[in-house]
Amino acid sequence: MTKTATPQSSGGDVRLHGISKTYGSFTAVHPLDLTVPAGSFFALLGASGCGKTTTLRMIAGLEDPTTGTVELSGQDVTALPPYKRQVNTVFQNYALFPHLDIYENVAFGLRRRGIKSVKKQVEEMLDLVQLGPMARRKPQQLSGGQQQRVAVARALINHPQVLLLDEPLGALDLKLRRQMQLELKRIQTEVGITFVHVTHDQEEAMTMADTVAVMNGGRVEQLGAPADLYENPATTFVANFLGTSNLIEAEVVEAGGEELLLKAGDAKLRLPAARCSASARTGEKVLAGVRPEKVALKHGDDAGSITEGHNRLPGRIKDASFIGVSTQYVVEVPGLGGELAVYEQNIERDGRLVPGAGIVLHWSPAHTFGLDAAQDIQAGADLDEEAA
Amino acid sequence: MAVHETTKDSQAPAARTPNRGLRWLRRHLVTLAGLATLGYLILPNLVVMVFSFNKPNGRFNYQWQHFSTDAWRDPCGVADLCGSLGLSLQLALWATVGATVLGTMIAFALARYRFRARSGVNTLIFLPMAMPEVVMAASLATLFLNMGIQFGFWTILIAHIMFCLSFVVTAVKARVMSMDPRLEQAAQDLYASPVQTFLRVTLPIAAPGIAAGALLSFALSFDDFIITNFNAGSTVTFPMFVWGSAQRGTPVQINVIGTAMFLVAVLCVLAGQLAGNRRKRSKRS
Repeated sequence: MTKTATPQSSGGDVRLHGISKTYGSFTAVHPLDLTVPAGSFFALLGASGCGKTTTLRMIAGLEDPTTGTVELSGQDVTALPPYKRQVNTVFQNYALFPHLDIYENVAFGLRRRGIKSVKKQVEEMLDLVQLGPMARRKPQQLSGGQQQRVAVARALINHPQVLLLDEPLGALDLKLRRQMQLELKRIQTEVGITFVHVTHDQEEAMTMADTVAVMNGGRVEQLGAPADLYENPATTFVANFLGTSNLIEAEVVEAGGEELLLKAGDAKLRLPAARCSASARTGEKVLAGVRPEKVALKHGDDAGSITEGHNRLPGRIKDASFIGVSTQYVVEVPGLGGELAVYEQNIERDGRLVPGAGIVLHWSPAHTFGLDAAQDIQAGADLDEEAA
Repeated sequence: MAVHETTKDSQAPAARTPNRGLRWLRRHLVTLAGLATLGYLILPNLVVMVFSFNKPNGRFNYQWQHFSTDAWRDPCGVADLCGSLGLSLQLALWATVGATVLGTMIAFALARYRFRARSGVNTLIFLPMAMPEVVMAASLATLFLNMGIQFGFWTILIAHIMFCLSFVVTAVKARVMSMDPRLEQAAQDLYASPVQTFLRVTLPIAAPGIAAGALLSFALSFDDFIITNFNAGSTVTFPMFVWGSAQRGTPVQINVIGTAMFLVAVLCVLAGQLAGNRRKRSKRS
């Protein structure tokens, strides 16, 4: 890839104030406040129908908000039509103009703004996305990945303050998607434009974005850096939608110190008070959560060697599947009424860990998080599978 | 038939021969059927063409006498022929323009907007296509008579635009309906005002549909006889001239005009094909 002389157009920030959209009696987006800092890579993540695309289209001006305002770099653009906003969109399925060749597709925005000499810029942009030799082809003669790059080039050449990406990688196969994720991230770092990316793919959001807003039912459930969202989910939806979580219903038996003591079935669990987002007074119910890869698994005979102070749960292996880098176990824990998932790295495989074996699960209390028990424990769990 | 004969002739050497014949037939059946169909379509045109070089005895050009290029050298030699041809071309041109402009607008309205009477318009627009021409012709003539409108160029033009409309609407509407609405959104997103969006994106993408509608209109208007005959008054179009002269005798010049029209049409198709091929080839390289 050639380094191009693309001018560093500093991106603008996006501020949404109380923005909402209703269609008849259906509310696609509930009043929403959102700030996307200038120059950041921001992802709106959620299952289909969660309002993320509507939000994006309101920023682009393709949808009029029912209430609220949209600000770009401090300027209120709510009343401006899309062609007067310094914003460009990479559409789902790209929406390339079929009657124009690649060169004219990329030049479209420049020409509409009355720029006469577009040749140099278009050629530079086509080089940036490695499509120089394809300039005179029609979009339908290109592969999906190439079309996707044309769509990005067509938007980026205008140096918008904000680039909006609506599921831009959805139509690509897995390998190409991975490649384009890195490519897009690289381009974003290079040009410094603010990217707002809509996706249903949690891995995609976490790989590319600096900040992820998880949306569900027209609302933002949680907003933060990918690692922060993953380690400290605030709701069961985020816990289940972003990766997999083991959520255990428990009762607080001792509160007040730095650690909460919980009772789940017959077992006692410890949870750092700082990692519990719900109110947790003695006697109240909470959901104790732990990610499957943070749980270790010991055969029942070796239970004595478990580190002192770890949370422990005795159980029985119900299913084990070997997937190369790790083995995924489903463990039945009597007294909890549910099954827990455990991902073990394949470093030293214990031959006794087969379905039916009695084992003890253990993990450091520091890896436990606490959630409000008054929510659907399954929220977001099935959506992820659908999306993937 | 041929297959049977070969079997009889070469019964002894091998039972393979009929198989080979059958196989040949099977392999070339599509080609043969295609050629037969083509012949069926082209034969009448060939007859017209051949008889344009005839020098008939008497007024009827029905029997081959001997070769002559007299008619080709003097195509307007028959009184009123070229006048009626000019009128027909003029009518076809204006009917095409009128029907294409109106029909395109109707098609966009039907495809894009929800309004009262939309489904009514949607159904009524098919009426001229579905109704027997002679019924429509008679009712139009009644209408013009009752309104006291003088029959002539304008009544013919109005009638032609009317029955061409439905073809344009059908062709354009199909094209507009199948158009991805995101293309127009993309244009707006790329700084195109609504007018620019229409001129730069919507219209070019709808163009093949509009062109198809226009071509159909031209052809339909040019050779329409029934409706024209009812609403022409004393005006004579080319099809009316042919019909009228057929009663008294058929001048060879009619064949000349017919052949010329056929050749022009074939040339247009060939030019289109060549342009398409060249475009394809340049894309590939």
